[in-house]
Amino acid sequence: MTIATIEHAVCLGCGCACDDIIVAVSDGRIASARNACPVGLAWYGDGTTPSRVIVRGAAASTETAVREVAALLAAGPAMVYLAPEVTTEAQRVAIGLADRAGARLDSVSSDTAAAGLLAGQRRGRATATLGEIRNRSDFLVFWAVDPDLRYPRYLSRYALDPAGTQVPKGAAGRTVASVDVGAARGPARAATRVSLAPAEEAAALGVMRATVLGRTLAGLSPALEAAAELARQMTRARYVALVHDAEPTAEPADSQRADGLVGLAQALNGPTRCALSSLRAGGNRSGADAAVTWQTGFPFAVDFSSGAPRYRPEEPASTAVPRMATVLVVGAAHGIPGEVSRGLPGRRVAVIGPRASEAPFPAEVAIDTGVAGIHEAGIAYRMDDVPLPAAQVVSGPAATLAVLRAVTEAMMAGGGA
Amino acid sequence: MPGLDRLRIVGGAVHDPANGVDGEARDVCIEDGRIVASLPPGAPAVDARGMVVMPGGVDIHAHFASSSCNHARRLLPEEHGADPARAPALLEGEGPARSGTGGTVPTTFTTGYRYAGLGYTTAFDAAVAPLTARHTHAELDDTPLVDAGCFVLVGNDEYLHRQIAAGEQERARHYVAWLLGATGAYAVKIVNPGGIEAWKAGQRNLTDIDQALSGTTVTPRAILETLTNAANDLKLPHPVHIHGNNLGQAGNSTTTLATMQALAGRRAHFTHLQFHCYGGEAGKGWASAAAKVMEYVNAHPEHSVDVGQVMFGPATTLTADGPVEYLLYATSGRKWVNIDIELETGCGIVPYTYKEKAAVATLQWAVGLELFLLANDPWRVVLSTDHPNGGSFLSYPALIRLLMDRSARDEQLKRANPKLLAGSALADGLAREYSLNEIAIVTRAGPARLLGLAHKGHLGVGADADVTVYARDPDIARMFATPRYVVKGGQLVVQEGQLRRAPPGRRLHVRPEFDQRVLKDVRRHFDAYATVAFDNYAVRNVPGEPVAIGP
Repeated sequence: MTIATIEHAVCLGCGCACDDIIVAVSDGRIASARNACPVGLAWYGDGTTPSRVIVRGAAASTETAVREVAALLAAGPAMVYLAPEVTTEAQRVAIGLADRAGARLDSVSSDTAAAGLLAGQRRGRATATLGEIRNRSDFLVFWAVDPDLRYPRYLSRYALDPAGTQVPKGAAGRTVASVDVGAARGPARAATRVSLAPAEEAAALGVMRATVLGRTLAGLSPALEAAAELARQMTRARYVALVHDAEPTAEPADSQRADGLVGLAQALNGPTRCALSSLRAGGNRSGADAAVTWQTGFPFAVDFSSGAPRYRPEEPASTAVPRMATVLVVGAAHGIPGEVSRGLPGRRVAVIGPRASEAPFPAEVAIDTGVAGIHEAGIAYRMDDVPLPAAQVVSGPAATLAVLRAVTEAMMAGGGA
Repeated sequence: MPGLDRLRIVGGAVHDPANGVDGEARDVCIEDGRIVASLPPGAPAVDARGMVVMPGGVDIHAHFASSSCNHARRLLPEEHGADPARAPALLEGEGPARSGTGGTVPTTFTTGYRYAGLGYTTAFDAAVAPLTARHTHAELDDTPLVDAGCFVLVGNDEYLHRQIAAGEQERARHYVAWLLGATGAYAVKIVNPGGIEAWKAGQRNLTDIDQALSGTTVTPRAILETLTNAANDLKLPHPVHIHGNNLGQAGNSTTTLATMQALAGRRAHFTHLQFHCYGGEAGKGWASAAAKVMEYVNAHPEHSVDVGQVMFGPATTLTADGPVEYLLYATSGRKWVNIDIELETGCGIVPYTYKEKAAVATLQWAVGLELFLLANDPWRVVLSTDHPNGGSFLSYPALIRLLMDRSARDEQLKRANPKLLAGSALADGLAREYSLNEIAIVTRAGPARLLGLAHKGHLGVGADADVTVYARDPDIARMFATPRYVVKGGQLVVQEGQLRRAPPGRRLHVRPEFDQRVLKDVRRHFDAYATVAFDNYAVRNVPGEPVAIGP
């Protein structure tokens, strides 16, 4: 039995992108992933993944499948859809395919995290990398989220427990508050809790911002008065971290939440300092936002059909996919939001990504590739837009990047099957 | 046809000030990407008779490839929607070009195309947080046509402050050397020394170079001296690149002169000087102090500057100087991004428009021009707009017109708000007009020399074959906006004013030697406070060999 150890592996199980994982590999399989949380352990699994290439239900060569993908893109109207679990190097090449094909380009962000991104485009944002929160934050406010559930190491690595340069005692030097909205509750460790009905949330954010700006509001309900008092406490802190979940939650968030949180965090930078920390899911989603932005000027929902990028945020992938003739999914098919994958039947679909051959929707072409950070090395972004070098820990099927480059070459050659 | 390994540019009026050539009609010969003395008869040629030939432009200070730029791009969908950029029609076999969007912060491929379209073939991103250097290199991979590098932000980093407080100057130098190599950077950039840390720590800012960070003995002066000495001791090709304290504040020329005096006798570059040359007093009015500051610069050959000219129109203010951007947000009401970057630096972004009817914007415009026109030595004064802070790099041709044509300045001055121009040298009348040779100095020969790029900015034998050919035009701005030919690394990339090739650029970076023992201490610091593992910090596989260091 051969055992290899990979230190400082980057786990992309969630957007925390913990890079202290020690992966032990035995006989080509992941034997252990030390320091990984339950989400990370599930994400790593044993590292096995299928390695099939299928065209219209039959095994095919990669070369044949690549030509089919090129032809499919040429037979648009097409969409290139960035699903999770691919490196940013691969995302960059995939964006180029959409550009050359005059296709739509989108990612999971348009149907998951768009509210926060759009609020940021309207108003900007006051934020920080996670290490600033670790090193400075003496007052943490969790807005309708308990990170333990979907981001299990957020509190232990970044926000609460570790000692920081300005918070040498770690958790003992920080105040934790929770704003519970309906059933969406913050961490049990919160010393202060404000409970809001969902219908009160937008008003509470407005009251808190007004309070921070120095206004005194009379006649508030008890819940809103509690929110105002929390805002007063926040202004007395040295460095506030306002934490929310930017991904879809079990309870739909108020449509004004994102704007309200951005505005509150910005206002707090008058009397004190504040960073809004937006929790994002795994698989290098933030990397897709970044690469799409630097190549097109927009973070998602891009239309290349006019020969140059146009922004269509009002038409996310779930709305656009049913109007497409063909769709190329790049990334993990299982990571596509349900509202998008429900529109795929009836389209001609190709999938290049991990477990493409097991996609939960019909695909004309499926090319299994490796998972970024497990079978494929490359850049992956943490939820705070910090780029990390995700290592390969076990060997796997063909690299997504290599397959996409082959598709590019096939397109340049006038490619089609 | 052109595009082969050889090319003769025939008979243009060559402006190659580094080699003492001022408009003489001669051939420029190119072979294998370099300038050569001659070519055999029959070599491919382009006819440049009657045209103006200069080395490719060198942008010493712009913001076009960084995590901060990308946050700005994300913030500006309305700008990008208004400026779609279709893929250029490259020659067959040159690979597919890419579309993009423009505005004040264009997308990566479009940035490369537009730089080359202006005749600029080398550019440096002037502010990269070490933690996000990996991102910058990925963006540069997608920015064709320019040989490019980046300056890494140092001076607000926790580790450096600890070394300064402990008097560990030598360790600070080794740390700087390691950081340059680890980030694949070319030079050290200082932004608001100590002030960004003060902003993050609740002290808000440092407004005097002898004001200490709360609870420490660390002052801007100590930071400036430590890093200036480090860069010079390491014999870096470019000295420290300094954005001083109090940017954009009335009366800040006092701070600027104090900063220069603190570094007198030491090689240093002061960037976007225009933003640091205001007289008056905070809250009590503004005036130009350009003459006073430039008088100092003229007398100190060890110092160089780039101007950071403000041009009327849209801009995006984009800087690591977080406290400045907060003030701009608070006073302008525009949208605002702030990002505190752990243990190192910050980032602030506010879109902005310089209006000719605004008194402060007019003053800024005038201060920049005064710096250019009062400079005795163009080799130490570089043309820049601090793209996109003072305006886009696309406005360089309009700026060149202002420098070369007094009547254009006077016309603009008539339309602008003169309220704060009392005592301004420009308003009093500055007759100087730049010559083509001086333009060649401030846009290519000078910056190349200041950057220590021996193969750039000139057309002597052995130089990189980066050449721009302009057709003469009475409209100077149009002449410089639309070169007839551009050669990049020996390839004819612009033909008859059209971009026809888009090869990748080279990466310009340094890797100074240092005492490896410093890493043990840096690693300990990482283990204690960083959220990225030390072993995951350095950028791997920076393309190309490092630029040589030392005399």
